[in-house]
Amino acid sequence: MAKGNHSEHKKMIDKQYKDLMKHCQTHMEQVDKTLPEPKENLHELLTERGISRRDFVKWTSAATAALMLPPIFRPMVAKAAENFSRLPVVWLHFAECTGCSEALLRSSYPNVDDILLETISLEYHETLMAASGYQAEKCLEEAIHTFAGKFICVIEGALPRGLDGKYLTLGPKGKTGIEVAKEVTSKAAAVICIGSCSAFGNIQAANPNPTDSVSISKALGISTVNIAGCPPNSVNFTGTLLHYLMFGGLPALDSLGRPVWAYGKRIHDYCERRPHYDASEYVDEWGDAGALKGWCLYKVGCKGPYTYANCGKVRFNDGISWPIMAGHGCIGCTEPDFWDTMAPLEKPLPDKSYNGREATVDNIGIALTGITALGIAAHATATALRHKDDDQAQKQEVKHD
Amino acid sequence: MEKITSVKEWSVAIRINHWAMALSIFILIVTGFYIATPFTIAQGETVNKFFMGNVRFVHLLFGVILLFLFIWRVYLAFFSRFHADWKDFLAWTNIKNFIHQIKFYLLITKEGPDYKTLYGPLQSLAYLGLLFMVLVICITGLILMGAGYHKGFTYVAATILTPVENLLGGLAMVRYIHHIFTWFFILFIVVHIYMAFWYDAVLKKGTVSSMISGNIFKKVKE
Repeated sequence: MAKGNHSEHKKMIDKQYKDLMKHCQTHMEQVDKTLPEPKENLHELLTERGISRRDFVKWTSAATAALMLPPIFRPMVAKAAENFSRLPVVWLHFAECTGCSEALLRSSYPNVDDILLETISLEYHETLMAASGYQAEKCLEEAIHTFAGKFICVIEGALPRGLDGKYLTLGPKGKTGIEVAKEVTSKAAAVICIGSCSAFGNIQAANPNPTDSVSISKALGISTVNIAGCPPNSVNFTGTLLHYLMFGGLPALDSLGRPVWAYGKRIHDYCERRPHYDASEYVDEWGDAGALKGWCLYKVGCKGPYTYANCGKVRFNDGISWPIMAGHGCIGCTEPDFWDTMAPLEKPLPDKSYNGREATVDNIGIALTGITALGIAAHATATALRHKDDDQAQKQEVKHD
Repeated sequence: MEKITSVKEWSVAIRINHWAMALSIFILIVTGFYIATPFTIAQGETVNKFFMGNVRFVHLLFGVILLFLFIWRVYLAFFSRFHADWKDFLAWTNIKNFIHQIKFYLLITKEGPDYKTLYGPLQSLAYLGLLFMVLVICITGLILMGAGYHKGFTYVAATILTPVENLLGGLAMVRYIHHIFTWFFILFIVVHIYMAFWYDAVLKKGTVSSMISGNIFKKVKE
């Protein structure tokens, strides 16, 4: 019986994937007709950079698995990767540090993801383009006009709302960030927020937030795909674009707009130090015996248990390492308002202090309990004095009876 | 003539619920503080150790028990066959009694107000507060439990509670609120035990044993 159910279930899944495959094929044929010719030949570029065909095939397997698709989709992923340079992208910078661009575009030993990002048909990218001033403005207008409804708008940076948005003015015409964002996003096929600034506001929006900075979705009232992280992993961005190229739509998102395939589980769930957490093996202070043995960083403030991200699985810098592997706890950079909610970053959450010294929740609790105990002692003494006569009155009553 | 009789005040269900809740809350506070500030066990091999895992298991087990005890208690408040006491939780709305009761607690008057409800005005407010605390700690607990487990009841609960998680500001805030409410429970327990003893000592009706025997002594005029 159980076996019958199992095979039926398998059949159902197979059918779903077959339908998905059909959808993917028809969409990609459509794309072939509508999108402009590829600007660059990916395979030539890969050979130039010393990446063999075999490495590329290996990468397609990894990317397919990362997107939670079965291996039959590998050729489609390869095709989508070849189409990468055909997808027009307008990349906007608002209140941010350009760290996300740096992290995605600058790696000493680029892997396929990084090279793919280099092939993106960037119609407009303030940091990378040669044009400036009115010329740059013209580029943007042309891109929006030519690819209206087809281009992907990638946004890096939060939008300050203070002073009517004048905390952020851009370009030769002195437009505010909100004006530019409204103009471009209204014509985009999809808006991808890269980095925690555009996704959730990040440090600009942290308390006390003098410029009233907010995320793109909050500032414009639109729904965005949020590739959270400070900076995010390039895999999460390329994966989302691959998904868009393959299926013509955005991947499944969680309640905060983050792709589920990348942000579905917590750092804590993927963590290689997790067994040490369950075994009560903790680093008590930096550089102690536990730290040397690679024990759990929970007590030195790791925020992995509260953070949804796949850092432990995909890692950074060509898969070499990631924060917890390097010996520092997670700071929770993929979560909204993490500068406020995750502080103090190198201490456990209950050690958050209200006066900069000892006023943590536990110390306040101990003090309140102590005060209550003192109050009880005083009240009990007062009651004993006040109701002293009750016993005598009762005794007299008994005698009287 | 006055006669002292024993009157049934608490049904068996309420008494079992009370002590089961007391036990779970005690276990949850102890295990909860371990999870918040664990000590390191340095001896032995990692494979042979699972202390945090076991403590978390006990914490989750009694957390779910507390949730069902809470649901049972709310059910009893409305549908108890002995005495559905939901109206008694509103005793604090009687302002005159409320002020009188405070005077009695502050030892200004020697006699407390005469209320017909099961709880006094301040008691009703305190117990309403306790039920609210249990609700908050259960909801935040379910969110934290569901964050690491993606199956069954836990998953369904966590999915339903996702808007609450976002409203509170993410898992970190949920966990912080969970921690703060633990201290409210500790303060409640200290005052609750003292007040039970105080009532027993001042009114001499057997308040403490009433939660065991179910009966309280009352003076009845013949």
